[in-house]
Amino acid sequence: MLDHALTKVRNIRGKDIMRFLGNNAALFAFLLLFIMAIILRGEIFLQPVNILNIMRHNAIIGIIALGMTLVIVLGGVSLSVGAQLALVGWISIEVFNATRNIFLAMLACVAAGIITGLLEGVLVAKFKVPSFIVTLGTMTIFRSIVLYGLTGGGLMVGIPPGGVGADRDVEVARIYQNISNVNLFQTDDFIGIPLPIIYWIALCVLMYLFTSHTATGRHIFATGSNEKAAKLSGIKVDKIRILGFAICGAMVALGAVVETARVGAISSAATGVEHNLDAIAAVVIGGASMAGGKGRISGTFFGVLTLGVMTNLLAIMGVDPFLHGAARGLIVIGAVLLQRRLDGTKEAT
Amino acid sequence: MSDIVVSMKGIDKSFSENKVLHGVELNLYKGSIHALLGENGAGKSTLMNILGGVLPPDEGTIEIGGKTLKKIADTIAAKKLGIGFVHQELTLLNDLTIFENLFIGDEIKKGPLLDKKTMIEKSKEILDRVGVDLDPKTPVRELNTSYKQVVEIARILMHDAKIIIMDEPTASLTDVEIANVFKMMSSLRDQGISIVFISHKLGEVMQICDRYTVLRNGYMVATGLIDDTINEHVIATHMVGRELSYDGLYVKRETGDMLLEVKGLEREREFKNADFSIKKGEIVGFTGLLGDGRNELFESVVGANSPYKGEIILRGQKVKMNSRNKSLKGGVSYVPRNRKENGIVKDLNIATNMTLSVVEKLKNLLLISRRKERGFTDKYIKELSMSVHNVKNPITSLSGGNQQKAVLAKALGTNPDLIIMDNPTQGVDVGAKLEIYSLIMQLAQQGVSFFVLSSEAPEVLMLCDRIFVMFEGEIRAELDRSEATEQKIMFLATGGVDESVKTAATA
Repeated sequence: MLDHALTKVRNIRGKDIMRFLGNNAALFAFLLLFIMAIILRGEIFLQPVNILNIMRHNAIIGIIALGMTLVIVLGGVSLSVGAQLALVGWISIEVFNATRNIFLAMLACVAAGIITGLLEGVLVAKFKVPSFIVTLGTMTIFRSIVLYGLTGGGLMVGIPPGGVGADRDVEVARIYQNISNVNLFQTDDFIGIPLPIIYWIALCVLMYLFTSHTATGRHIFATGSNEKAAKLSGIKVDKIRILGFAICGAMVALGAVVETARVGAISSAATGVEHNLDAIAAVVIGGASMAGGKGRISGTFFGVLTLGVMTNLLAIMGVDPFLHGAARGLIVIGAVLLQRRLDGTKEAT
Repeated sequence: MSDIVVSMKGIDKSFSENKVLHGVELNLYKGSIHALLGENGAGKSTLMNILGGVLPPDEGTIEIGGKTLKKIADTIAAKKLGIGFVHQELTLLNDLTIFENLFIGDEIKKGPLLDKKTMIEKSKEILDRVGVDLDPKTPVRELNTSYKQVVEIARILMHDAKIIIMDEPTASLTDVEIANVFKMMSSLRDQGISIVFISHKLGEVMQICDRYTVLRNGYMVATGLIDDTINEHVIATHMVGRELSYDGLYVKRETGDMLLEVKGLEREREFKNADFSIKKGEIVGFTGLLGDGRNELFESVVGANSPYKGEIILRGQKVKMNSRNKSLKGGVSYVPRNRKENGIVKDLNIATNMTLSVVEKLKNLLLISRRKERGFTDKYIKELSMSVHNVKNPITSLSGGNQQKAVLAKALGTNPDLIIMDNPTQGVDVGAKLEIYSLIMQLAQQGVSFFVLSSEAPEVLMLCDRIFVMFEGEIRAELDRSEATEQKIMFLATGGVDESVKTAATA
């Protein structure tokens, strides 16, 4: 009898822990990988330089993934964020090169991000075209525009309008590149924290407040989970959908500024090519449901870090870079399976 | 009659710390329709999920077909034992035809190709057996809900089911459609099939069932034959554990100024020539068969179904109702039918669901104030006597009645002058039903106006000052409370034209 009761208590605990794990699967996937990294190559992995590098490298994906989280919570998906990043990043560099003013450049970039996002949002919300189709279309359109504009080549920061590579003004370029290439709290013994990490974390906090503590944020979740019920509750669902894409566009634009500043140039063919799938993967690892209505900013944050730590660990261990993709793919599928097991839900997709 | 086909004994079941079934017994007899009754959360669904192989019991045995089982492993095992489960949510594929649905997963083939001819013939036989005359080649989306239900049952019969569990099959059906389902049920009973019938409508239980079992808080509290000694009142008392009465519910009130007028409202193929109005503090009923257009009509009134022809006049001002937000701001709340589809947002927690329409007003500057949110939810949990452990739990953790109260809280929270309630007590147990009726009456006394839309004539008869009866998108009559009877409503709702009623309405 006592044994029986004890088993029951154990069962309860087990279930509660499972539910907690399920809600925070991304955090635990991340911790698991982190511990694995420490065990396997702790001496290299744990060095501050390495940790900061992981975060710096993933800050841009991290920022884009914040926008992607909104789109996915709304029950959609965006395939165009990479091409959009190339397009608005190009605009940012062109404006900077012409005006030598980083504020104008950023303004133009963010405006372009919002406008392209609005365009996608209107097509999805008002014309009822599935977001997969819309963004498949805009992805090719955006990429094609950049390729045409730069005739398939690239553009460096600091080249005056009409100039060539030799005309590059390094001093001017530095103003722009400092956006990403300065470290905060740098001292003689400490390398400091690269600014992209600060941007990423600040935007995470903002987006967390927006999604969890504002009325509009709740409207996004309600619309993504049950559009009809949301509409009948007085929520302007079309506006919410358009807003979701617009914010995603703004995030992509901020990511574009950070990326172009880090690299100091844009490549019409290569910039942002891998960003679409990385951002989606991070959001999915973070526990969002592709059916909409579910997703967390903290989940997305750890989703990005999980992918980042994974890639870093593989690199430290000297695994052939061509195999990294396979490992990332496994982690996405594994994380989702883990999540389902933990929270015990079966989801129809 | 006396041979037992299934005997469940000493069934215990817990979900984490929550024990939902305590040593429950259930005997099902051959060729009998057995009512399984109880309030929401009494354990009916859990018990049936155990019988249907969806859940394993913690303790107890199930005797079936001469074997004693510890559990039924899964739904496939249940199917093999001859147990078929008709869930509340229909599982038909709307884009396929009836015969394709019937044979899904068991297609008859001629070589590598489908043998449609044989499948159609066999479908016809099954449909004849359940007593409906449908063409097996009809796409399922063209069927009304009662026929979908029939097709669902036909699909179960294809697997030689001997026991059929029906979970609230009549919840979304009108009286005429219910009659169809009942006809089919009695013909199945005569063929020796046992049916477990779960329903909140006690009138139906008295009409169709020959045995009953009542569960309350996970205990079996009563079981037996339905004979002359058993009536609705006896069963309701078993269900809630105390006396219930609707007497004295209706209170005569003074009504105030004109609040809303609707003139010549029309939408193609949905409704036409709708003229009606409501005054402050009035309760006006709209009834008819399913698909009579009242749902679409009122979705237009709240701005969720536009454009329309005609006029909507709110407090003397003509309004173009083209968004739900507009009607909300105009003081009109809406409690839609089909709670799962239109009422609750399943991924959000209880608090977020309750505050969804008012969350804009619970802010401090930009961010939502936890204190204000808490104040709102506490107030309505108390006012509506909801049983909620923690408002941060998922909305789906609540029983049907409490979910409906959460939807009501959402509607009441905007302090509306007019509340439109479509099927307000759908899937709500008798106890909670009475609470909702009392709430409507109480608010009406305070000057809130109500449109109550319902297919259940007794519901509108009990509450409303005036009753409109609709048929095929048209208002057929307006009946005053004093002249309305269930018979009159049924006659008008099925398309009957009564000149005396009609002239009375237009006079």
